[in-house]
Amino acid sequence: MSHKFLSLIEDLSKIQNPEDFAGRLGSVIDELKKFNSEYDKLLFKYERSSKEKNILSSLLIRTSADLKKVSDKLKIRAEELSTLLTTIPAYVYFKDTSLKYMIVNQPFAEMAGIPADQITGKTIYDIFPGYKNTAYLDKEAYSIESGFALYDIEEEIEHTGRKRWVNSNIAPIRNSENQIIGLIGISWDITERKLHEEELRLSKELAEAGTIAKNEFIASISHEFRTPMNGILGLSEILKHSVLTHEQLDLLNGIISSAENLLVLLNDVLDFSAIEAGKMEMDYQPFMLDRVMEDISLVMKMKAAEKSLAYNICIAENVPNLLIGDSQRFRQIMINLTNNAVKFTEKGKIEVHISQLEQSGNRTNLRFEVLDTGSGIPPESLDSLFKVFSRVKQDRSKLISGTGLGLSICKKLTDLMGGQIGVESTLGKGSLFWFILPFTLSNIQKNKSQIAQSFETSSFSKKLVLVAEDNLINQRIVSYQLTKMGFEVDLAEDGQQALEKYHARKFDLIILDIQMPVMNGYQVAKAIRTDEKGTSRHLAIIALTANAMKGDRELYLDAGMDGYVSKPFTFETLQQTIISVLH
Amino acid sequence: MILKTIHTDSIKGFRQAWSDNTDDGFHPNAAIIFSSVDLGLRELVDFLETKNVSVFGCSSCGEFLYDSQDQIITDGGLVCLMMTLIPGSFEIKLFNGNVKPSFNLGNEIGKWAGEVFKKPAILVLGSGLDTDGEQLVKGIQHHTGNEIRMFGGLAGDDARFKETFVFSGKTLENNGAIALVLNTDLYEINGIATSGWVSIGADKIITHSEGNVVYTIDDQPALDVYKDYLNVRDTDLPEIGVEYPLLIKKPDSRDILRAVINVDTAKKSLIFAGTVPNGAVVTFSSSPGFEIIEDTRQKVNQFYNQNSETDMLILFSCMARHNALGPTISEEINEAWQNWAKPLIGFFTYGEIGNNYTAACDFHNETFTMVSLKQKTDVA
Repeated sequence: MSHKFLSLIEDLSKIQNPEDFAGRLGSVIDELKKFNSEYDKLLFKYERSSKEKNILSSLLIRTSADLKKVSDKLKIRAEELSTLLTTIPAYVYFKDTSLKYMIVNQPFAEMAGIPADQITGKTIYDIFPGYKNTAYLDKEAYSIESGFALYDIEEEIEHTGRKRWVNSNIAPIRNSENQIIGLIGISWDITERKLHEEELRLSKELAEAGTIAKNEFIASISHEFRTPMNGILGLSEILKHSVLTHEQLDLLNGIISSAENLLVLLNDVLDFSAIEAGKMEMDYQPFMLDRVMEDISLVMKMKAAEKSLAYNICIAENVPNLLIGDSQRFRQIMINLTNNAVKFTEKGKIEVHISQLEQSGNRTNLRFEVLDTGSGIPPESLDSLFKVFSRVKQDRSKLISGTGLGLSICKKLTDLMGGQIGVESTLGKGSLFWFILPFTLSNIQKNKSQIAQSFETSSFSKKLVLVAEDNLINQRIVSYQLTKMGFEVDLAEDGQQALEKYHARKFDLIILDIQMPVMNGYQVAKAIRTDEKGTSRHLAIIALTANAMKGDRELYLDAGMDGYVSKPFTFETLQQTIISVLH
Repeated sequence: MILKTIHTDSIKGFRQAWSDNTDDGFHPNAAIIFSSVDLGLRELVDFLETKNVSVFGCSSCGEFLYDSQDQIITDGGLVCLMMTLIPGSFEIKLFNGNVKPSFNLGNEIGKWAGEVFKKPAILVLGSGLDTDGEQLVKGIQHHTGNEIRMFGGLAGDDARFKETFVFSGKTLENNGAIALVLNTDLYEINGIATSGWVSIGADKIITHSEGNVVYTIDDQPALDVYKDYLNVRDTDLPEIGVEYPLLIKKPDSRDILRAVINVDTAKKSLIFAGTVPNGAVVTFSSSPGFEIIEDTRQKVNQFYNQNSETDMLILFSCMARHNALGPTISEEINEAWQNWAKPLIGFFTYGEIGNNYTAACDFHNETFTMVSLKQKTDVA
């Protein structure tokens, strides 16, 4: 610019003609203006630079200090994150979208046996040469493709001769524009846990096997207890009919009461173990409800009377009497509840109410209630009352013995029969135990009077009975009871001897113990039935058994027997069975 | 559309020029005027009232007028563009600033614009140093929607930061806004807004603000922070502060600059041209130097390539650009004028309003905001 301007001035100085000079001067002025404009700009830039220098330098110094602070914070943060990544007790890794490792933490590197910086860019197959699966990589690929995190991926890997189980969580990583750029994986060594789980599984199996064995043992031992119990109760009964002093009678009553209590305990334990072992099955047969209730009342009224308690039964008119159900189990529940009511009531009354809830076709639901005016049950105990070994923690628990199994068994029995059981109680006023059971209506027309008549008219005088029983005490008890009924009794000590006597004499009835030496009861019964084949003869045979499990009845009947009596049995039970067999 | 221009440094000169321009029977129905407060705006408005013309004007912080005759950038002068717009295709209305806050003022303008035309475009000027340009824009958009074409600026007072004005052909208002609404069925309006300012330093947090008043930054008094960081005195603000605005970081990457236009030394607070939200992440910012001219040049050329035909151009350029670029500001204005070679009028503002291409309208600081206005040929 200045060069051009100087050149124009020089040209101007050489012009001689004034007219040319004026024309050229215009160009010089234009150039001068341009020069001036450029000069102004340069001057501004210079001045601006000077003016701005202080502000910008101050701003830069301050903001640099800020950036330093930020940088220091970021450095600390980075160190914290690095420490976190290194010390976290898990294998942590980042992979890119091609599933190559980008960063791994120290525990991962140690597990792999390769320095962390040498893992970058490698695949799982590079790091773990023995790794052959694709399932894990498939899951990682799915996570990257779908954007979903995946949890609890368990896998067993083998590396450097060691097998280990790992549990992994994986999640995609996104950049600021929300694009997936890789994934993070966090894995834990769960080998110990897996081993522990296996141990627990084995322990559980052992425990279950132990429980089964225990139940079988209890069932077996309970069975073995029945024979001596029968002896104690039977002999005591015989003894009771002999001439005794008052003191001896009191002592004998004590023995009988204790033995009866022990029998209840034994039955509870046996039932409970059968239920627990899953061997308790219901035996549905026709029965008469009023008859069962009368039987129970006979006993309970006596027990209630001993404590000066009233005992009343109220059966609604619409309650059907002929039912199909497991009368033994029903009886057991009812006896348990009424027995408890008597036990825990000191004054007042016991009432049993039976009502029909609904009837549909040949099905009916009956509700049974046992009310007492006893001490009642605290509300906090009600929920656990039907649980195993539950006893109400109250003064009465100190006074009254029991296994704590009774109500638990009632609950399980009602469950097995498709019913319900419950309790309502007010402390100091009494309790209401109730249960609901479904029954099928029976169409067998048989009434109580008919049965009662046949019972009353029975007579066994001069009838000959053979009792085959190896246990001498039981032999003696049965003989005593049969003699009291009017029978003439012959005895055999084993099955062989019984069969010989069968051939030698003409008997009206044979009572066979099942477990006998030489020949057991089944074999004897089968031999007799074989002998009778082709004739019109049919000798009545009753089995004596310490077994009381469902299915036994079918076994005896299959062997040709006409009835059975479970030990220990009462005089009445034996007599009733004989009546049903001989009539 | 017939256009005539005036540039002068006195009201007397303006009267004469107006007379000269209308001697030939030219009767403009609208005029755009940007003038220094020093010229006597009351006298100017009194004169205009006699001319029965709709005026869209405001006080300025430097004015410029480029046409085939002159290319002038002035301080303390007046520029005017006399126009014959299609009757019924436009309306101008001045709004009293007693309608506060700024959002409500904008709301009133937006409501009116929607009543005048079904598809309006708006040119708007605001006066008053407490006016929050962002709220003014949001108030208008509340009625018109974000898609509306809208451009304008906040009036200046030659960098004194005392009192700014908008005016019509009848009224002068130091706290309000004037709006020119155009029927977009008849006119095509496009524009750009470009800054070039760059972020400096670490993030800071606005720890206490109310609207466009910032009390604390990183829990320090806002005025102290500015003085400390810029190493200036109370009296250097807000003028120096205008050149070093806060850059507000937004999640959508549409960062926005907010310039200081006033200070409250008693409360140690700063008043910005637009809202600075409480909790906003901000940085200081500065022009990177004279290279922003090249940046503007590229943006203008790009805009020209997409929009090469216009009848006139209106430019709202931040006074901070004038401060930063000095006489070299002519280079970026000249670039615009040379491309289209059509009359260009504008002024240096305390804040700009505009759409960047087809984006929603925002309130800006430190920008070169240019509008092209073209009468559609089929209605000529």
